[in-house]
Amino acid sequence: MTEIKHHAYLFDATRCIDCRACMVACSVENNIEMDKTRIWVAGLGVTGEFPNLKRGTMVYHCMHCEHPDCMSACPVGAYTKREDGPVLYNPDKCIGCRYCMNACPFGVPHFDYDKGIVDGAFIDKCTFCPQRIDNGQEPACVQTCPTDALEYGDREELLKKAHERIAAHPDRYIQHVYGEFENGGTSYLIISHVPFEQLGLPTLPETPINQVSETTVGLTLPVALGWGAALTAVTAGVSLLKQKSSAASGKEKKAEEKK
Amino acid sequence: MTQTLSRRDFLKLGAAAGTALAVGSLLPAPVAEAARQAGFLDSKGDGYIPSMCEMCVWRCGLIAKVKDGRVVKLDGNPEHPHSRGNLCPRGQSGLMNTYDPDRILTPLIRVGKRGEGKFRKASWDEALDLVASKMLEIKEKYGPEAMVFSSTHNLSQVQFENLLYAFGSPNYGTQRSLCFNAMIVSNLMTYGMEEPARIYDDKLKYILLTGRNLLEAISTSETHDLIMAIDRGAKVVYLDPRFTKTAAKASEWLPIKPGMDLAFHLALLHVIIKERLYNRAFVEEHTVGFDELKKEVSRYTPEWAAPITGIPAETITRIAHELAEAAPHVLVHNGWRTSNFVNSFHTQRAISILNALLGNWGVTMTASAGEESGALGAPPQPPFPRVSALRLDGVPWKYPVVPLKIGVFQELRDNIVKGDPYTPHGWFIARQNPVLSLPDRAKTLEAFGKMDFIVTIDILMNDTAWFSDVILPEASYLERYDPLLPVGDKAFLRQPVIEPQGEAKSALWIYKQLGERLGLGDYFQYQDEEDYLRYQLKPLGVSLEEVKAKGYAELPAGGGEAEFSWNTPSGKIELYSDTLAKVGFPGVPTWVEPPQPAEGQFYLLTGKVAQQTQFGTQNNQLLRKYSDEPRLWMNAKTAAQKGLQDGDWVKVTSKAGSAHIRLLATEAIRPDCVYMTPGYGHLSKGLTTAFGLGASDSVLHETYTDPISGSQALSQTFVTVEKA
Repeated sequence: MTEIKHHAYLFDATRCIDCRACMVACSVENNIEMDKTRIWVAGLGVTGEFPNLKRGTMVYHCMHCEHPDCMSACPVGAYTKREDGPVLYNPDKCIGCRYCMNACPFGVPHFDYDKGIVDGAFIDKCTFCPQRIDNGQEPACVQTCPTDALEYGDREELLKKAHERIAAHPDRYIQHVYGEFENGGTSYLIISHVPFEQLGLPTLPETPINQVSETTVGLTLPVALGWGAALTAVTAGVSLLKQKSSAASGKEKKAEEKK
Repeated sequence: MTQTLSRRDFLKLGAAAGTALAVGSLLPAPVAEAARQAGFLDSKGDGYIPSMCEMCVWRCGLIAKVKDGRVVKLDGNPEHPHSRGNLCPRGQSGLMNTYDPDRILTPLIRVGKRGEGKFRKASWDEALDLVASKMLEIKEKYGPEAMVFSSTHNLSQVQFENLLYAFGSPNYGTQRSLCFNAMIVSNLMTYGMEEPARIYDDKLKYILLTGRNLLEAISTSETHDLIMAIDRGAKVVYLDPRFTKTAAKASEWLPIKPGMDLAFHLALLHVIIKERLYNRAFVEEHTVGFDELKKEVSRYTPEWAAPITGIPAETITRIAHELAEAAPHVLVHNGWRTSNFVNSFHTQRAISILNALLGNWGVTMTASAGEESGALGAPPQPPFPRVSALRLDGVPWKYPVVPLKIGVFQELRDNIVKGDPYTPHGWFIARQNPVLSLPDRAKTLEAFGKMDFIVTIDILMNDTAWFSDVILPEASYLERYDPLLPVGDKAFLRQPVIEPQGEAKSALWIYKQLGERLGLGDYFQYQDEEDYLRYQLKPLGVSLEEVKAKGYAELPAGGGEAEFSWNTPSGKIELYSDTLAKVGFPGVPTWVEPPQPAEGQFYLLTGKVAQQTQFGTQNNQLLRKYSDEPRLWMNAKTAAQKGLQDGDWVKVTSKAGSAHIRLLATEAIRPDCVYMTPGYGHLSKGLTTAFGLGASDSVLHETYTDPISGSQALSQTFVTVEKA
């Protein structure tokens, strides 16, 4: 494999057989709880009427956006974007505000409503397996994929590969690489034989949503300052709470804060 | 309902295993010690060990990541031709089989009534002594044939066979007649080998799949090959009454009427012969019996086949033309359980012959020695005693062309019930689940009822163990050695990556212990598992340590079979088989009309899903997590006509029994069929994840046997469906 400057995935829906090996591999590699998953299958399943039927499925996980909305929305800096691609989540900083859930246009961050405020790690999402990619291994989902529907490599090279493949088979593929420009670009690139909406992907502008929102917020300085002050207060409060051992007293404090 | 394991439970489990290890670590832990010596593990006991998967019979190579004496992740081994670095969902979840909280970790002896599920723990000595004394008692009273032995395709089967042949019983039950007898017997009659190898090279242009759902019944490397062939632009024509995930990727899906695949293939043969589209040079040089074939198929016109199959005559003719145009870069896939009717043997023969006419030998098909290699050694042993008793499964006296090693399992069960030609009294079962795998579960339990003694070897309390008298706990595939597996020019090793949990032991150890107690120690002349492997490696001149480090041993380069000769009586590909004709069967494929459902009945179809293997993986919590709920598929319009809605509970009834299951109303199935995922509906309460899930197809399946190949006609059961 050539040197990877920018880690990325390429998903080819024409090759995906919905076997779910990636999901199991992810669950084991990252020791995911039995009632949670970081990968799920979206898409249309079976459509049409017997015997004129179609089927398309997509393996869904964090898109690792170039301009992550989760990071932009997070008031406490729990999200970081590595320069080489992965978007990471730090449970120790998270205050459980769920802004990231609302901000993510792909609906990726999952919130754990069972977790108390002192337990932390409210959000679960794909990490890009840094423990593997930083040691020269492919992410767990990619490594196991029996049909090479999932591939891993340098973003530029995968983009090239994706364009070559769709150009070589215009009859087979929608002539578009999803994620090249959507929302300012993602590190999860998708090519498909069915329209991307049918795979459950949103139609997004090229300008990242957070750039729009950040500009808007920047124009309304007083509001932004007030908002920032409020969030800082919440952050400070929660940081304090996290040091407390009792969940019960934590809840009381939280109630006080709200007043 | 179903239990899921939280991460906290998972950690607890780990802690428990850790404690067990700490107690045991007063003695040196041999697996970790050996792995350290081989350089796999560092001083802390962490690292990677190559071995082999056993979540299905494809047996991919794996690399196990081990940490603190536990296996924490499995990856595909890039050096193994069956995995090429990948594992399917079952392979990925394999460690959950090993760490299943329901594992049986000590020998168990039944204390309650059979099926009551009451057992007590026993020592290995007590359990083995009991099993041996019961077996000897039965042998003395009724003769060795009164013990039935059955086991499903696995790597230690060679020593299982040693036990049964040394004991002197002819009664050997394998799963094959429930699976691919028709394919194997057909290939033996046509090519003189069980299953020729398939070649998916860059030139492959056209693939015809008859119910071979390769994208759900995953054989990792072949599934990959098929997707890559599609990627390169090969045409795939797929016959199946269901719109499976393979149908979705095929160039053309033909929802053929069940059981009528034979008519489709006979019509293809008709067109190809009538229009002289076959490879004349190849047929002349390498086949026998063309004239007999030509005469027989002259009556099977596409117009004749169209109303039978539901596929228009012009489509059949076009496909015959396309096949001939693409030849020899074509592959007409035999499939494993293709069609599943009493005419399945003829269907398979037609497919085998179609390949020969297209002249694809040496191009997309080639000779395969299967999983055998003459290059490996074995421990010394005396010849087996002569067996004079008839086999209960009718081989060969009722099924003359079925190989002895394959047998007709459902017939064996039926003759146990009938006591014909004699009554057996004991059943020795290893790594097999006949209570769920045989059709007509009630009848299998009736056969169990005839037994004085039943012993089962398994890692879990499956339904068969649940009804047994003694259960011997086997080490899981990540905890034990097995004999080497030859694949191509390498022999691959399954080696333990962690210590066996509890008191679980390898099959090689169990068979040896039993052999010695039965006075058959001469057939088990190996000290332990490693000694057995050293005998196997002796002729190759490589050390076990070397093989352990690499994960495989190189085998000497082929030189066996010449490329264009076949192990048939004529030495050629037999389009007409004299062997078949001599025992009274048609020498060429012939139309046999299969039964059809009456008004108001449906064909009951079963077929694999990617997340489960047969009847043995439903208790795996990771697979449970990612499996669809097992429901009864029914065409959405048919369901609406019957006043049934998606999600309704329905009662499915056949002549054999009835089952309750939730309905899935879908467009993806023919209106005259219903489908259910096999392997659910377990009886054993010792399977806490699987118990209570779905319904059992075995309860519904009626027993019908293809008279030539002995295949169970698994799709020939017709059912009614009503709101529960």
